[in-house]
Amino acid sequence: MNKFELTRFAFIKAALKNRLPQLALIVLLLAGFLFAIVAGILGTPVGNRNFGIVFVWIAWWAVLILVVVPFLGRGWCAVCPIPVVGDWLQRGAILEPVSKKKTRLNLRIPAKFRNMWLQNISFILVALFSSVILTTPRVTSAVLAALLFMGIGLSMIFERRAFCRYLCPVGGFIGLYAQTAPSELRIKDKNVCAKCNGKPCYNGSQLGAGCPWDVFPGGLTKNTYCGLCLECMRTCPYDNIAFNLRPFSTDLEKPSGRMDEAFKAFIMLGAAMVYAYVFMGSNGILKLAAYHIFTPAWFAYAAGFLVFLLFFLPGSFWLTVKIADVSLPVSGRRFASASTALIPLGLMFWAAFSLSFVLTNATYILAVISDPLGLGWNLFATASLAWQPVLTSLVAPAQTLVLVGGLIWSVRTAQKTAPQAGVSAIPVAAYCLAASLLMLWLLI
Amino acid sequence: MKQSEASARVLIAVLCIGVVLVPFLFWKQTPMIRARMAETGGWSPAVIRARVGEPLHLKFTSEDVMHGFAVGQMALAAVDIEPGKVSETTLTFQKPGIYTFYCTRWCGPNHWRMRGTIEVSGAGSGNPEPASRPLYVDLGLNLDTPHPADIIPVEKPSASRGQVFLSRVPDPSTYQSTGTYRSHSPVQIFMDLGTTRLTDLQRWDVVVAIWAQNTSAAGLADGKELYAQNCAACHGESGAGDGVYADTLAAMGAESQVGMSGTREMSIKKPVNFTKPDLLGASPALLQGKILRGGMGTGMPMWGSIFSDEQIWNLVAYLYTFQFK
Amino acid sequence: MKVKRHQVYLFGLALLAGMVAFAPMPFTGNSQPTVRTFRIEASQFAFDPGEIKVNPGDTVHIELVSMDVVHGLYVDNYGVSVTADPGQTAKITFIADKAGSFRLRCNVTCGALHPFMLGKLNVGLNTWLYRSFGLAIIGILSSFAFIYTEREKQKI
Repeated sequence: MNKFELTRFAFIKAALKNRLPQLALIVLLLAGFLFAIVAGILGTPVGNRNFGIVFVWIAWWAVLILVVVPFLGRGWCAVCPIPVVGDWLQRGAILEPVSKKKTRLNLRIPAKFRNMWLQNISFILVALFSSVILTTPRVTSAVLAALLFMGIGLSMIFERRAFCRYLCPVGGFIGLYAQTAPSELRIKDKNVCAKCNGKPCYNGSQLGAGCPWDVFPGGLTKNTYCGLCLECMRTCPYDNIAFNLRPFSTDLEKPSGRMDEAFKAFIMLGAAMVYAYVFMGSNGILKLAAYHIFTPAWFAYAAGFLVFLLFFLPGSFWLTVKIADVSLPVSGRRFASASTALIPLGLMFWAAFSLSFVLTNATYILAVISDPLGLGWNLFATASLAWQPVLTSLVAPAQTLVLVGGLIWSVRTAQKTAPQAGVSAIPVAAYCLAASLLMLWLLI
Repeated sequence: MKQSEASARVLIAVLCIGVVLVPFLFWKQTPMIRARMAETGGWSPAVIRARVGEPLHLKFTSEDVMHGFAVGQMALAAVDIEPGKVSETTLTFQKPGIYTFYCTRWCGPNHWRMRGTIEVSGAGSGNPEPASRPLYVDLGLNLDTPHPADIIPVEKPSASRGQVFLSRVPDPSTYQSTGTYRSHSPVQIFMDLGTTRLTDLQRWDVVVAIWAQNTSAAGLADGKELYAQNCAACHGESGAGDGVYADTLAAMGAESQVGMSGTREMSIKKPVNFTKPDLLGASPALLQGKILRGGMGTGMPMWGSIFSDEQIWNLVAYLYTFQFK
Repeated sequence: MKVKRHQVYLFGLALLAGMVAFAPMPFTGNSQPTVRTFRIEASQFAFDPGEIKVNPGDTVHIELVSMDVVHGLYVDNYGVSVTADPGQTAKITFIADKAGSFRLRCNVTCGALHPFMLGKLNVGLNTWLYRSFGLAIIGILSSFAFIYTEREKQKI
């Protein structure tokens, strides 16, 4: 395995094990998150001049989908402010859990919800209402506040980070795409874990909480559900946890074959394509249909959206694989494993789509930091900066690079995973090609 | 509890509360006039108080689309109000009274309804001028009766030709005086000229000459700009009643008539077409009256508190060019 | 130096990809540059017509008519723009010297969906799109060629 352990360097290991750097970043982000909620309520209702909208849907989103997810997988989860207050309340302390007595309910999430389906639903809900959420500051604030409320609330009732693992709409796709990242958190030596009594990495100790993600670090083989919170690094008495660099999409070499994850892949792929068509296109009626929620036009849009994501895309994939070998039964595990190739494809689709609006609207970020509440401030002398797209001539070439790169990546993935599913890579590759050509046509 | 834990708790609590409280406090004590399309609220607040001689500093922001601010009958440059941005201006009033402020950038078919008032109290300089009665009131004109033109020019008349003929008419001053011009429609002047021995076209030439004498290039330019900024959106850039809101207004009228059992003349309707000859049947006083008073439910705004008399005469003069040019 | 067969294939494919991406295409159509006039109606939140087409070198004359609120028109890559109030048609003229597809954007905030108020200007063919299609096909072929040559390598 060509892995490179970063934590072999003492200063890196120390920086990750020390709570303070991570905590400082978390607290900063928590303050920013609360400020975004306040700005959404008190600030201007004009989306492109409101701190909440600009910093969540342009700045944070750009960094997330273009940098953090592709390179650090679930890196955002490591510093996300939504669950932290719940964590502190569960543990009874901020810097170290002091008492082992359970003061909270700490119920276990029922087995039938311990999968990605709730996250598929929560993402679809956000997606269906996205044209209102992304353009209306008060609604963004309501959504952020609701996520915070649920994150803290669920921690009061259930054990560990129930919201993050099973409900968070962002966590679903970050987890799926984390498998493509060139970094990972893994144990160093299995035998050390075999001899370990008590497994404080999972059960907690004086040094830290047991894995909030309900993962047993000793058995961690994929990035999907590890939130990089680094608690296990702090609790392991044998220093057996490492943070490694590794080749991209190492996790995809062994498909999980799970249907909930497969559907997450189709949902993300489909959402990127629908957004490219509706929001980057020239059809105003379609955009208004997406915006005027609960009107008949919106119901038609929502129906089309759901049919495309949940029936057309998975259905046409099934058909493509089936046509290649009609006698082969394509069901459940085989279908899900074969669709592994769509994971890197979907990530690249989202990166390409995001490039369309991030570079165009980046100047809003500069303007809004000078007057985040729309009160007439000019903190950095950029309040009257006019909107001006940047690097426009680079956008189309960048999108081509990302989409063609994504296609090659997904075909390479198909070549490794399709045989494991017992299907030929060719129909999967053909499907990826068709989707890529369509996405190129929609964006360029 | 360890010192570090206590400090962490305090720091985080202070930061989180501060990040919510501080913006709230700033927001609470920043006076702001928020502009929205009339359909969703218009100006908030819509009433401002001021005192004579004291500078009134105003901050504006738009909450939806492009708006602008100006005060009626005050020579003050309009201030654009961009969505999400803050604009400022300072006004000083010399006379007490109730001033009307209004939106200066078209923001929908109800843009003209976006108005508010500034109540200026205190003692002004000099005695207050009594308001003068508009000419149409003195003339006893009914603004709402139709004014068809029974006879119209077959060719385009010329003011320069008309000037020559006017000088040959006995007692030209009775025709070309401001009083006559304003109180007579072009058709009426044409008919009055029937006593002379001029041909029909020559009489129309004289009518146009009289019009030209009662305005100027600068006045027409002012009228043209006023028309473009205030009237063209409904009445059309070519005056044909085909402005961008014409269809919307017709639809609003049709909708308002559903279930109505009474008269329909004064319901919202398509804007008037100035290229139709009816305009020639209207005197400047009538047109001024319509502009001042508005359409009483037809959707035509009332401009009395917004434009000065001079501006309205310039606009009226410009309107006739849809017939003469 | 022994050049392995798969290296030749991959080099060939890379060269082909380079050509598809960058080689100048033969100028399609010998149309004389003319003046083209378009009347574009802007309303919340679209342009009508949403897409306009000209030939490279044409002089493009656009009359922007705002139908409800103040809108703007900005042309990507050209950077030219104009603002129109309802009732006041705005005019803009420029020479379409860059070929390709360029988005038209509204550049006066006009409501919630303003950032998505888009249209398209097509100057000649959207050659970059076709190049991208070509690259995608080369990409997928390369992946299969790579697998094929890897298998060949293993057989040896």
